[in-house]
Amino acid sequence: MDFKSLLQEDGFILLDGGMGTMLQANGLVPGDIPEIMNVTHPELIESIHKSYLDAGSMVVYTNTFGANRSKLEGSGHTVSELIGAGAAIARKAVSSASHKAYTALDLGPVGQLLEPTGSLSFEEAYNIFKEQIIAGADTDLIVIETMSDLYETKAALLAAKENSDKPVICTMTFEESGRTFTGCSVSAMAMTLEGLGADAVGVNCSLGPDGLYDILDELASSVSIPIAAKPNAGLPNPETGAYNTTPEEFARQTARLSEIGVKIFGGCCGTSPEFIRLLAKELEGLRPIKREVRKHSAVCTPAKTVVIDQPRIIGERINPTGKKCFKEALMNNDIDYILGQAIEQVRAGADILDVNVGLPDIDEKEMMVRTVKAIQGVTDLPLQIDSTIPEVLEAALRVYNGKPIVNSVNGEEKSLSVILPIVKKYGAAVVGLTLDENGIPKTADERFAIAQRILDRAMKIGIPKEDVFIDCLTLTASAEQDAVMETVKAVHRVKNELGLRTVLGVSNISFGLPNRELVNCNFLQMCLTNGLDLPIINPNAALMTGAVRAYKLLTGIDRNSMDYIRAYKDVSFSSSATPKDSSQSDGSKSGETMNLSYAIENGLKGEAGKITAELLKTTDPMDIVNEMLIPALDKAGDDFEAGRIFLPQLILSAGAAQSAFEAIKNNMSGDKTVSKGKVVLATVKNDIHDIGKNIVKVLLENYGFEVIDLGRDVEHQAVVDAAIEHDVRLVGLSALMTTTLKDMEATVKLLHENNVNCKIVVGGAVLTPEYAEKIGADFYAKDAKETVDIARRVYGVT
Amino acid sequence: MINIDHIDRAEAMRYLSCRDESNSGVVAEYLDQCERLVLEALNPKYTYKYFPLDFCGEKPVLTDCPLSLEGKDIAAHLAGCRGVIILAATDGAGVDALIRQLQVENMAAAVIADALAGAAVEEILNKAEVEIKERYGNMYFTERYSPGYGDLPLNIQKTILNILDAQKRIGLCVGSGGLLTPIKSVTAFIGVSKNPLRKERCRCDSCNMRETCRYRKEGKSCGL
Repeated sequence: MDFKSLLQEDGFILLDGGMGTMLQANGLVPGDIPEIMNVTHPELIESIHKSYLDAGSMVVYTNTFGANRSKLEGSGHTVSELIGAGAAIARKAVSSASHKAYTALDLGPVGQLLEPTGSLSFEEAYNIFKEQIIAGADTDLIVIETMSDLYETKAALLAAKENSDKPVICTMTFEESGRTFTGCSVSAMAMTLEGLGADAVGVNCSLGPDGLYDILDELASSVSIPIAAKPNAGLPNPETGAYNTTPEEFARQTARLSEIGVKIFGGCCGTSPEFIRLLAKELEGLRPIKREVRKHSAVCTPAKTVVIDQPRIIGERINPTGKKCFKEALMNNDIDYILGQAIEQVRAGADILDVNVGLPDIDEKEMMVRTVKAIQGVTDLPLQIDSTIPEVLEAALRVYNGKPIVNSVNGEEKSLSVILPIVKKYGAAVVGLTLDENGIPKTADERFAIAQRILDRAMKIGIPKEDVFIDCLTLTASAEQDAVMETVKAVHRVKNELGLRTVLGVSNISFGLPNRELVNCNFLQMCLTNGLDLPIINPNAALMTGAVRAYKLLTGIDRNSMDYIRAYKDVSFSSSATPKDSSQSDGSKSGETMNLSYAIENGLKGEAGKITAELLKTTDPMDIVNEMLIPALDKAGDDFEAGRIFLPQLILSAGAAQSAFEAIKNNMSGDKTVSKGKVVLATVKNDIHDIGKNIVKVLLENYGFEVIDLGRDVEHQAVVDAAIEHDVRLVGLSALMTTTLKDMEATVKLLHENNVNCKIVVGGAVLTPEYAEKIGADFYAKDAKETVDIARRVYGVT
Repeated sequence: MINIDHIDRAEAMRYLSCRDESNSGVVAEYLDQCERLVLEALNPKYTYKYFPLDFCGEKPVLTDCPLSLEGKDIAAHLAGCRGVIILAATDGAGVDALIRQLQVENMAAAVIADALAGAAVEEILNKAEVEIKERYGNMYFTERYSPGYGDLPLNIQKTILNILDAQKRIGLCVGSGGLLTPIKSVTAFIGVSKNPLRKERCRCDSCNMRETCRYRKEGKSCGL
């Protein structure tokens, strides 16, 4: 019987216990690479496998936990060598066992954190795992274990599914809080990994068996696939490293996990064959129980699960349609603008963000991948991936961390046959539009019929009913007044007769009408009352978001009006330049007319914009810039240099100046510009400390420069390419650590070798003017303010 | 569970090069909010191991430990000690995420949160030290000394984390450039001795920043 069939059988599956523990007991020194013993001490590894098999293990994990390209670097050994040897040893041990047993290719974490916290990309992680999976072909199953990052687990699982046909068990490691170190929750792990096709999921390492009880209990109620538990022998003593649970206690506590539905058992750190032998004995006479699995509609990121058991707002603002600034941002690769739009909606009360970056002249796939990654770096709201191009959807689904919604499939055959398999493969939820080859049907009944068709097709290929959300489509009331109630009726029927979640873009209803928000708001209320779950709206429109909140309050969903009250008590940074309302903090000025320099000096963003807009009615834009803005900024700069104000205040002043600049920019016609020139900025290769560079960027922009921000960990060549492409006269490089100064030097050298006609300014905590000169930089800047001064000098602007 | 319920603001202000008098007005308001946000995002963790120490001539050598301690500064720091605690601490990945988010939303808040997060790691290290000193009562300890201080190289971080099994224990890793991730993390050595240790020499002498240091120019010290 193969392992996949064994998973379907009605018995327990017994894994092995700790490998590292056994190796350390046999002389492995902490910090040494355990997998090298596959070639230096194969007989020891085999004897460990055998002792687990003798204790009753049905599966042994190969000694390959850390045998990846990254960890083996500089060891003198290759992945294929150590994994090949490890798999062969396990195979040999299993073949001589007295009972049928299986070998599991053991994959642990790469050892580096993935983006956005670390610098390892999802794609690199995938390739690292792929190499291991190919090297470990001679095994019966794959285990991905001790993971704390859902993103890394996804990379490994995808690599396993795409490069082998073996069953895969994924186990992650949790803290007592019920989260992993990277903040992943049990529910997010469950829905993401089951969706991606894991054959079993569970928890290993972490804590002792009792400590894992609640976590496994939650997991058991969240997935329908088998559950695995491989706990530690309790908690370690920080001094000696010894674990505090005896084999007897461990066996008893671990076997008790069967009552919540765990089917696959083993041990992790601190366990030995004795633990497994006693565990096997404890499990005798017990049978796996039938589990009750909670079925619900939900989407997630690692840290946030949004259960669609009540109306949830999908923010519609990340979409270029009809938005000039957004289009411009996409054309200029200005990811920060898009991130700003994301955060604004988060603060306004969105539960999910729709992401659409479709524009004719850009590489939508590349932009979508970049945008999804960047948004997930700054918010943990789940996303709805919105594109008409299947390749764009698939690329986004690959790199998305968690379970997203796909927007959308429709009733057309070619849509159903292309989109649904992608949705299934990546375990996403999907929006089904009630239209087909014949367009949008007029009546609710016809739309209902299409919804039914989409549902049938989705379920046929294994997409659960809970993951199909139907959009009954909003038509414009001014053009097709009679269609309004058909939409409302269709929502009602789909919700009540098909039992599906419904989604609807609301704003379109009022197109062409005056006072649109009034119409939108009333339509929203009608739809909510008739069963709308996922209104797609502009959450920044207070009335719309408020309508959803009020609906939840009035229908008793928001118990004791808690959320409603909290929403209207909240203060956020984005609402004004200062955390408190500015009118409170500048009492000295109340009643007087505030001028622009006062607003800038005090970092009053909103006021600076308003005053500028007012000034523009009577004053030439360039006069405002040169006679008010720049002098006010200069004063802030001087105060900073003299130590009268400090970095946060300088940034606030600069922020206020920027809102003035923006008011001016909006006022100017297309070809005129207030740009003082372009500057390329990068934090050098291998360095991920980029806050300093980002401060420089903000200040440069505030002073009217256009910044091409290449981000952090930037390849040497990428800096050269950008400097040439944008024909800049100044390149700024930052490095924080002594270890990455060599990359700064290499980048400077490459710029010189390519004869790039630009000046180079460098900065960073450990840099000195002497070092800057030594590596051939033109300028050393001690802080962000000085970088601005240098830029102004280079561009000959004041 | 390590409980950190406040952050040393003076320390954070120092990272910002802010003198005390600026701890007023808008910055003070930001400090309140940012401290709350950082404390919410914090998932404080530390882990440590003790190794017996010998000297081979001047060079300190750890027993049963693959780490080689290079350079004269760590040797001087551990002089007279018979053991070393290798310690690692982190704010956790949530703090990195918070700082990323604030950089999009409000750079001034991001800068303040970044400084507070740096000060928070020190709080965690302090807690670790309290535990260590309790565990090894009757012993004498040096100050903490980290890779990157003096001539102790940064490229030993990977080995340190392997020795501590730091990814498994506290979720701490080293990136390809040898930098710790999450960013707000620290590793350090603490020398352990049975006998009182002579007062340490001024850290400035071996500091890489001694030529440019603003504090030193003013005749002060950064306190590290």
